[in-house]
Formats: sequence, structure tokens, C-alpha cells
Amino acid sequence: MRRRFDIRRLTQYGVVVVVAVTLNFLLPRLMPGSPLTLIAGVDVGLLSADQRAEIMARVGLDAALWKQYLRYWGDIFTGDFGYSFRSSRPIVDMIWDRLPWTLLITGLSFIVSAVVGVVLGAISAWRRGTKIDLGMLSGMISIESLPSFWLGMVLISIFAVQWRLLPSSGAVTSASDLVGWAHTWDIVRHAILPAATLSILATPGVYMTMRYSMLETLREDYIRTARAKGADERRVLFGHVARNAIAPVVTVLALRLGFAFGGTVIVETVFSYPGLGRMVFDAVSGRDYPVMQAAFLVFTAAVLAANLLADLLYPLIDPRTRTS
Amino acid sequence: MVLVAANSLLEVEHLSVRFDRPGAGIHAVNDVSFDIAPGETLAVVGESGSGKSVSMLSIMGLVPSPPARVSGSIRLQGQELVGLSARRLNRLRGRDMAMVFQEPMSSLNPVHRVGDQIGESLRIHRGLARAEARRRAVALLDRVGIPSAADRAGSYPHELSGGMRQRAMIAMALACDPNLLIADEPTTALDVTVQAQIVDLIGELQDERRLAVIWVTHDLGVVAEIADRVAVMYGGRLLETGPARRIYRSSRHPYTLGLLQSIPRLDRPTATRLPEIPEAPMRMAGALRGCPFDSRCPMAAEGCADTLPELEPVEGGGHRSACLHHRKIDSAEVLFPETPAAAEPRSATADPSQVLVSVRALKVHFPATGGLARRRAGAVRALDGVDLDIERGRTLGLVGESGCGKTTLGRALVALVRPTEGAIDIKGRLINHRSGPHQRVVQMIFQDPLSAMNPGMRARDVIAEPIRLHRMAPPDAIRERVVRLMEQVGLPPESGDRYPHEFSGGQRQRIAVARALAAEPEVVVCDEPVSALDVSVQAQVVNLLADVQAATGMAIVFISHDLAVVRHISHRVAVMYMGEIVEQGDRDRLYEDPLHPYTKALLAAVPVPEPEGAGPGDRTRLAGELPSPADPPSGCRFHTRCPVAVKGLCSTTKPRLSEASPGRWVSCHLVNPPCT
Repeated sequence: MRRRFDIRRLTQYGVVVVVAVTLNFLLPRLMPGSPLTLIAGVDVGLLSADQRAEIMARVGLDAALWKQYLRYWGDIFTGDFGYSFRSSRPIVDMIWDRLPWTLLITGLSFIVSAVVGVVLGAISAWRRGTKIDLGMLSGMISIESLPSFWLGMVLISIFAVQWRLLPSSGAVTSASDLVGWAHTWDIVRHAILPAATLSILATPGVYMTMRYSMLETLREDYIRTARAKGADERRVLFGHVARNAIAPVVTVLALRLGFAFGGTVIVETVFSYPGLGRMVFDAVSGRDYPVMQAAFLVFTAAVLAANLLADLLYPLIDPRTRTS
Repeated sequence: MVLVAANSLLEVEHLSVRFDRPGAGIHAVNDVSFDIAPGETLAVVGESGSGKSVSMLSIMGLVPSPPARVSGSIRLQGQELVGLSARRLNRLRGRDMAMVFQEPMSSLNPVHRVGDQIGESLRIHRGLARAEARRRAVALLDRVGIPSAADRAGSYPHELSGGMRQRAMIAMALACDPNLLIADEPTTALDVTVQAQIVDLIGELQDERRLAVIWVTHDLGVVAEIADRVAVMYGGRLLETGPARRIYRSSRHPYTLGLLQSIPRLDRPTATRLPEIPEAPMRMAGALRGCPFDSRCPMAAEGCADTLPELEPVEGGGHRSACLHHRKIDSAEVLFPETPAAAEPRSATADPSQVLVSVRALKVHFPATGGLARRRAGAVRALDGVDLDIERGRTLGLVGESGCGKTTLGRALVALVRPTEGAIDIKGRLINHRSGPHQRVVQMIFQDPLSAMNPGMRARDVIAEPIRLHRMAPPDAIRERVVRLMEQVGLPPESGDRYPHEFSGGQRQRIAVARALAAEPEVVVCDEPVSALDVSVQAQVVNLLADVQAATGMAIVFISHDLAVVRHISHRVAVMYMGEIVEQGDRDRLYEDPLHPYTKALLAAVPVPEPEGAGPGDRTRLAGELPSPADPPSGCRFHTRCPVAVKGLCSTTKPRLSEASPGRWVSCHLVNPPCT
């Protein structure tokens, strides 16, 4: 059987990308006032007409809108996002600096919340109605309602301040020249608290989806068929329930993976973690529009990539969604 | 009290199943005893809520416990199953006893290949390796009549047709050569033609393996030919049991007689109304003091309400009946009399010019889905050139297998689907979208009344909606109109405050009829209106529709897969195959003398509620299933399954629907030879 990705789906993704990029291009241009205000800041009123024209020409704002739009696309393809207003660094470099850190903590928290959520959700559903189930369910609902900054600060006060077990901020110990394993261990120690905060917050969603999906699956006729065949509980659980129950969870996980990037803004700020989220926070507070624009594109790309992943994975799990 | 044959394979004694619920417990099965010998077929017959499925699931140990409490004794080959540990039970399930369920689609795991699911039993019980199990699965699939079994073993359930899926389920059940097969309504979800194939298949396998079969069904017709013995259940109790011949010919229980009488049959006079059992089947309830059938029984007498009748031997031969008055039971005809049909509506006195709706060259094509890159792989030709007239005050029956396009035609009449080509006109007005007046004139009644009603609306408002929508009465007159409608369809008007889920299935369908009538329609399209109902209730709804037609003179389009029901209510019948009408004619002539081979095959497949040997000797079964409607066969669409297809003609030349005799249209080369 041949399996190929539906071209119609890919077209849909293409449309979303075009719309996102176009919005990103238009937003600063739709804001009130001249773009000069953004570039030159409050001093714009002091500039002479010549100076203004010179700046406009330098940044290419004197060209027709469609030319600017095409150039924007060109810039994206060549990886040129311009320069930060505040640091004057190329934004691409900034993103490359920060992306690994964000990937590290989101990746860690994704894996932890996925594994813990799925396993606990499965146990809960399997033991539905028991004390274990009800206990876990109410626990998860409580966690779901925690604000992320509060949880982060609680973890800092316990593990960093009270017990002095883990560092409270940064990604590496500054001004240290650790190498090899010591360096790696330093990175891990710094990543634990922010990753734990993200994991704890992401787990209830996975848990709920898994629990519900599994309860639904346990009611299916084919589970009864499996029992009628003489399958023991182990075989029923792993051979028949698990794979069917996990399918909807994959979609939820993929969406979470996409949104995890955006979720780092607060947590990275609380932990002063040098990732993309922190960069966005700084850019927002410093009105650094080009950086915000670039970050927006990166987040969009992350959500789309995660969705694409889910679309590609789903047919592997559920043969009914395979195109023939 | 229970006579157990010496060579019993399964002995069930005093089986009771209770569901503990907060408040009142439910007594689903009460003191049921029966046994079955190797090679025997026992038919367990009952309506919904009779406890038949729960009994069977408790034999298999598949009733979740808690909340269920199973008591009594179930012995398989001498071994007690009640209270057996899960581990020991697992060793028996699938090896010594196996079960086939009603819905093959939902009973197969969607993510595993069919071959692997069949092989799973072999791996569990015989310890076979995956490859060997798969090889054996192919042989089993081949045995149950699945063509190119090796390929199909690698398919997923959704890639098979309904009939194929049920064959695969049977292969799965028989993988480890069990001695007992429990088939729980195995053909209810299938077309008549496929149903007949499955009945034959299980019969063959049974002879081959000396298999004992418990066949659970609500339909006495299906099992008549194959059952050795019949057990009739109602309200969680066994009401009558005995040799099939005696149950069908000389039943000694009013309930059995009522069931037998209310089945629409091909050999029943059509001039009469279907005899009905009043009210709805009993729902599972708490402990009973008297006979569960008491409230519906025409011969209920003193004592019936507060004496629990025991199964008592009747005449011998193992025939037993749980009726206090079984000695003085009258014949079925007296208990459930046939009454003359309602007078033909005035307007219908055969004025052929009274054409209300005419359908011309109607085509409805749906784009084929799931293609790569929306490659125009073609279209599903749901309707492919249909011509039809619907006359005032008459009923047109539309029959055919599922997928033949009958539902699409019904929806097109109500303008719920848009024609791709062709025209429908109603009273001379062309209909191509659901305009206001058309909405009122054509009403529809659906198969499942519960899902066709807003669960948040009271019955009264459901019925009143068309009146409000079309401003047919001033607001203060609506209530009175609704009361009149409810009386007309036989609903107590005080029940108008209740919500749809609080009614029984039959009552819900009455609400649906009242809602349709509220619009004062001229045509009512009924799409399988009785298929989801119990047999005893089917007759009530069919009779109601006939009464309403007599009273209002409306035309009915009655869509059904059940040829016997269609025969009972229709004036004209159109047989559909793959989006086309292959035969059309007056009811009596079409049923007496079917011309098209497809019509003949459909009629031959209708089960007759007569024990073995009494049915028609004609056992020609229609082979295979409906080809893909996206890629219909060339020439005559039926030639791939036709027993009399002529080589070189039927596969190449498309027959035209032409008039074989006045009012009788057939599209078959053998009936209307092509001009040469």
C-alpha cells in the first residue's frame, strides 16, 4: 500500500504560511503614524525632511508597497530579518543564539508531560471510579488552574532559595569556564526548574485527553470482541486499547508542542532564561518591533511544523485516515 | 424442573443477572434455564430489553461485574462458568466457546489487520507464532468465502464491505474450532441478500464441525429455517421454549403468537392491516410479581398480574410455556386478529392522471473522496438517471440493498440534496432548492426518530414546529392543533410535556409522524421508518401510516430494505440497483411475478417465518455484494451478480427501462430484448 501525503493538505499549509507572513508584513504598516516613528523613535520630530527621506530610502520604505512585500519574502528566504532596534544585532543571530535554549526546555517538558500524562491517564482510566482515579483527576484539575509565574516562583523559593539545590536563573553559570561533563551538568541543573514548571503545567491537558480517550475506547465493541477471544487484560490493554486511545492524544500533543514556544515567554522571564520567550518579553517591553515580528514568524512556523507532524503521524496510528 | 439432555454441551440453570444501581436494581435476566447439545441450533428470540443479549454475554463472562451480579449455574462441557476466575475463563473463551456480534464494523479493531485479528485467537490459545497464525487466518478467510483471502488478510476492517466483515468475524470466532458459537443478531446490520449468505454459511460450518449454535435474534423469520429449537424471551424471562416446528406451528404462548402474527410476510394477504401487539415492549425493571407480558396480553385474566408463571410442559417433546392459561390458548388469528385495511383514500381511486411528483432523468453524483491531490477519480453515482411518478394518495415503495441510492432519492425529493442533473417537479413546479412552500408540502420521517429530534425540545414543541414555521395557525390555536395531532397518531396528549428520550422507540416514531402531519404535507418521504423498531412495534407504525394516508390522502414514499414491509404498505413498488430503477410496477403484480433477476433474487432472500422445509424450495442466493458505485460495471450494472446474464450482451449493452406490460417497467435484456 502506498502512502503519500495528501497534496491538498500541503496546499492548506502553504496558504496558512502566506497569510501569516502577509499579516506580519502588514501589521507594522497598518499601525498609526509613520514607520519612521518606529525606526527613529521619539526623536522623529527633530529630523529634517532630508534626513527623513534618507532614512526612508536606507530602509527601503520609499519603494512601492508591493515591492516592499516581495522584498520581505526575499528576506525571509535568505534568512534576513533585519536588525534589532535596541542591540543593533542581526535578528537572525539573536534567534540562533536563543533557539537552542528554548528547544532544550520545551523539548524536555514536552517529553516529560507526554510520558507522565499518557501513563497517568491510562492508569486512571483503567482504574476508573477508584480512589486512584479520583485522586489523580482532582490533582490534575488543581494543577491545571495554577498560574505559570506563580508556580515558577514557588519552585524557585523552594529549590533555589530554601534548599539551595538548583540555580534560580540563567542557563549557565556566568563567568565560569566549565568544560566537558561539568559544563553539561551545569546546563542541566539550570534547565531543571524551568523545564519542570513547563512540564507540570502541560501534564494535566495530556492526562485529561488520554483518560477520556481511553474511557471511550474501553467502551468500544472491539474491546468486548478481544475479551471474547480469550485475551487477558494485558493483551486487551496493550494490544487493543492503547493504540486506539493514543490517536487523539497525538493531536493534542502536537498542538501543545506548537504552542509550547509561546508558553515560554512567562516562564523564561521568571527564570531569566535566555531563550526566545525571554527575547520576546524584552522586545515587547523595549518596543523592539523587528524582533517581535521575527519571533512571531518563528512561533507560527513552530505551530505549523507541529501540526504537520501530527498529520504525518496520525495515519501511522489509525489506518482509517490513510489516503489510498 | 429442568430436563437436561444427557449429552448437553451447555447447561444453563436458573440464570439471573441483576444490575445493582443506586435506588432500584435492574433484573435483566430472571431464572432462565436452557441447554444445548452438540451440533444443535437454538434460536433465542426476543425484542429489545428481553434480556437475550445479557444472557448470552453472561455465558461468555462478558457482563461487567460489578455492576452486574450473575447467579445460577452455567456449565460448559460439565465445567461451571459462574464464578470462574478470569484466567480460567480466558482459556475457554475463543477456544471452547466463541461469539459473533451484531455490528461487524465496530466489533473489529480498526487499527489491526483483519488477518492479525483472526490470528490472535490462535496465538492466544495455540501459542502460534505471528507468521503461522497469519497463514492459518488466510485459510480461515478462504473457508468463510472471502475471495482472494491472502490479500484481504492484509486489509483493515474499514476496507471491507459489511458482509465481508461479518464473514471475517465468523472466521475469527471459529479459528480455534470451538464447540459452541453464540451469534448475537449476526445479520441484523446486513442486507437481506447478504443475510441469506451468512445464514447459509453458518449452517454449512455447523454441519462441518458439529458446532452448537445459539442464534440470538429479534426476528423469528431469520431463524425459522435453521433453528432446531426456539426459546422466546421477554422481560428477562423465558416465556416459551420447544422444538422449532412446534413454536412456529402450535405455540402455546400469547406473546410468541403475537410476534409471529405481527411479522410482515410475503404470503400474507395485503388487504388486511398487520395484526399488532399493543403498547411498547417492557423495559428492564426491578423484580416482577406477575407475568411480564400481562399488560400487553389480549388474554390477560385474573391472576396474571400477580402470579409468576413457571415454564410448564405442554404436550411433550420438550415444549414448555410460561403462561397460566396455556391450555386454553386460542389460535393466533383469534388473539391478534387481522382487520380489514382502512378504506382506500378517495383521491386514490386509481386516477392515473393524479401525478403529484414527477422525477425525470434525475442524477445525483457525489465527488469521490480521499483521492490524492483531489485527483478527479470520478464521482459516486448515487442516482444515475431515475424516472418516477408519485401519485396522490398512494404509496410508492422503494427497495434495494444499502448503497442502491434509495435514501439519496428520498433526500432529493425533500430537496436535502441537490440534483446533479434532471428535474423533480411537484404539482407542476420545478424544485431545485428547498424553498418555503416546498418545505411544507414534502415532509420526511427518518429511521432513527431520537436522533432526528432536538433533545432539548418537548414533544409538543417538536410537533408544533412546522405549524409555527409556516405560520399555519394563530399562536393561540397551536396547542389545540397539537393535541389533535397527538390523538391522531395515538399518543396521549398529556405526554406532550415530555422530552423525546422519555418515550419508547415506537412512540418517538409516532411523534415524528405527528410532526410530519403538522405541516399538512402532500407527500411524506419515510426513510426506513420502522427498521429501528421492535417487530411488535413495527406493525403499529406501519398501520398508523396507512391510517393517516386514508385520512389525509397524502402520498407516501416508503423507503425500506425490508421487502415484506414494503409489500404491505405500498401501492406501487420501485426496485433500485446502483442508482437506477431496474423494475417498477404495481405491488401485487411485482411481488407475484417479478421480472427482473434482481427483484427475483431479493424476494428469494426474504426469510419466511416457517420452520424448515415449509419455506419456498427456491434457494438461489444472490452471490457477492454491491460493486463500487464510483466505478459501476459496464453494460447492465447487475450483470456481475446476475445468475442469467447473457455473455457478450449484458456486459456490454446497457438495458433501457421500458414498459414490459402496462404500468410495468423493467430494464433487462431478457425481458425486453434489444432491437437487433
